[in-house]
Amino acid sequence: MTPTKIFPELVSEDPAAGLRAVGVLHRLAEQVEAIHVELARKQGWSWEQIGDALGVSRQSVHAKYGK
Amino acid sequence: MVKLLTTDARKRVLTTAAEEAHRRGDRRIGTDHMLLGLLHEPAAAKLLGVGLDDARRVSSTLDRAALAAVGLDAPTLDAPLPVRSRRRPPFTSGSREVLKRSVDEARAVKSRHIEARHLLLGILSRERPDPAAELLAAMDVDVAGARARLKRPAN
Repeated sequence: MTPTKIFPELVSEDPAAGLRAVGVLHRLAEQVEAIHVELARKQGWSWEQIGDALGVSRQSVHAKYGK
Repeated sequence: MVKLLTTDARKRVLTTAAEEAHRRGDRRIGTDHMLLGLLHEPAAAKLLGVGLDDARRVSSTLDRAALAAVGLDAPTLDAPLPVRSRRRPPFTSGSREVLKRSVDEARAVKSRHIEARHLLLGILSRERPDPAAELLAAMDVDVAGARARLKRPAN
C-alpha cells in the first residue's frame, strides 16, 4: 500500500515542500517541548517525571534543559 | 600555505547564525541560518537588498506553504525558545560546504582572513533545494548580481 492511500491529505507531489514541512513540525515540537519543560520545572516536576512524559531518559532531558 | 585567520565579523555571523537556529528551534545550523546571521550585518543586507525582518518573514511564509502542501495548518512560533540548550548546535552538511567554500574564496583573493564577505560568497554559491538558496529565490534576490559585486576588486 502506498503512503498516498493511507494518508492522502499528507502527501505532496513536491519533496521540497514535504521535507520542509517535516522540518517545521520538528521545530514546532522543539518549541512546544521547551515551553512545557520549563513550565513543568516551575511546577515542581522532577527531571525523571518530565523524561517519562516525553518518553526519553531523565539524563537526556536534563542534559538538554538542565541549568 | 597562507594561514587563514578569522575576523570578528565572521565570528559574529557564526554566533548570530547559531542564535537564529536556536530562535527557530532547529537542531543544526543550516545555510538559511547562516544567511540570517549575515543579514545582521548591515553591509550584507544592503548588498542583497533585503533586511533581516524580511528574510525571517519570508522564511515563515515558506514554512506555512510547506505545511499547507501536506494538508497541515499549524502555527509557526517565531519566538525565541524560553530554554537555551547549552550545546552549540552542529552545522548541516550544506553549512559545512559553505564554510569550506569561504576558505577557498578567501584563498582565491589571497586574503589572510576569512571575512563575512567570503561566507556570503559561500552562501550565494548554493543551489536549490538548499534552504538558503530557496530563501534567496523567494525574496527575488539577484544572486548573480550580488556575487559579481562581491567579486569586484573595489576596497
